[in-house]
Amino acid sequence: MRITILNGEPDPSAAFDAYLRLLASRLTASGHVVEKLDLRELDLKGCSGCFNCWVKTPGECAKRDDSARICRAAIASDLLLLAAPMSMGFTSALLKGAVEQMIPILHPYFEVEGGEIHHRARYAHYPKLGLLVSAGSDTDAEDIEITTIMWARMARDMKSRLVFSAVADRAPEEVADELALAA
Amino acid sequence: MNSLLLLNGSPRGERSNSMKMLSRVAEGWQQAGGDAPEVLHLTRRPDFARAVEAFPTAGRVLLGFPLYTDAMPGLVKAYIEALAPRVEAARLGEANPGIAFLVQSGFPEAAHLRPLERYLEKLARRLACPYAGTIVRGGGESLQMMPDEANMKLWARLRTLGEQLARDGSFGADELEAVAGMERLSPFAVAIASVALRVPVLQFMWNGPLKKNGAWQRRFAAPYGPACR
Repeated sequence: MRITILNGEPDPSAAFDAYLRLLASRLTASGHVVEKLDLRELDLKGCSGCFNCWVKTPGECAKRDDSARICRAAIASDLLLLAAPMSMGFTSALLKGAVEQMIPILHPYFEVEGGEIHHRARYAHYPKLGLLVSAGSDTDAEDIEITTIMWARMARDMKSRLVFSAVADRAPEEVADELALAA
Repeated sequence: MNSLLLLNGSPRGERSNSMKMLSRVAEGWQQAGGDAPEVLHLTRRPDFARAVEAFPTAGRVLLGFPLYTDAMPGLVKAYIEALAPRVEAARLGEANPGIAFLVQSGFPEAAHLRPLERYLEKLARRLACPYAGTIVRGGGESLQMMPDEANMKLWARLRTLGEQLARDGSFGADELEAVAGMERLSPFAVAIASVALRVPVLQFMWNGPLKKNGAWQRRFAAPYGPACR
């Protein structure tokens, strides 16, 4: 299975960064093809809502930054794992900003899905989504619940499903095995 | 003193739909006797820094922004993270300003915004900010395309909410419900839209710009993998 990990940890010396390396090693050792993108190392200019990726350069961000790498990896994957520390009740700004630069993988046209208006698919295949967060000192169960609901909605908008969500409070090997099962 | 720090968190900056809506709330605020607000656009680096610095001493804060992939834009999340020291300050007994929010989405239904509203209410609690409520409004992208007269009703409601904020310190529940517009599509609307949206010409909101930009032929481009259908 092809698994892409979006690492939204801004601090390279954080314990969660080391945790994700162990998680990725375990997945690789289990025979999966893993690509980990450390978002803090990428040149990401941020989405400014210009919609050029829908109406001017369809399918591609007009800013020509590293967001294309994220989109390419996502479309080629079976599973996209969104990984980030919790801060002020939600996943990091680094992860959030990177994910909103993924809208080129959608088509602007609207459709009705599950009784709601959503955008149409551009691709035949989208990765399943997983969410892995590391709790902060002030993270509570309500924060995790709200965050999970928001990412589950995002998964639907990305023509996908949130098939896995966890807090990184157990051995990375254990979480890696569960993740592989969910995918 | 009845001061307001008005923060525009739209990544589109000054000319955004969020700012258009925020301006109407500010008008109502001033009509009801509030001071002229200090307006900051978070897209501008100096404004962002000023918004962090001015937060603790603001009389009241109104933060508005669009829904980006079902949550706040990364820009706004970065601002919220910059407020983290205020959580600790509140724990040590310092007061934080009362806070109100405005969130809007291009999708026509308000339902898309409700989880975010829940997050914002929790954020106010986390910062120990008196919570004045969240204006939730779907269909924001059409503001760009409609003549100003078509939005008169919305502008009036937003002004009323601004007046309530200045006068009562919070938004009224009835007015919040009214401004939200359609919560969900009715089963009838689902049936109509399901059929109508299959007719390509009805995607006019996108077709116009695609043609204008000479991108019409490439509209189904799929540079990263097999295309849909």
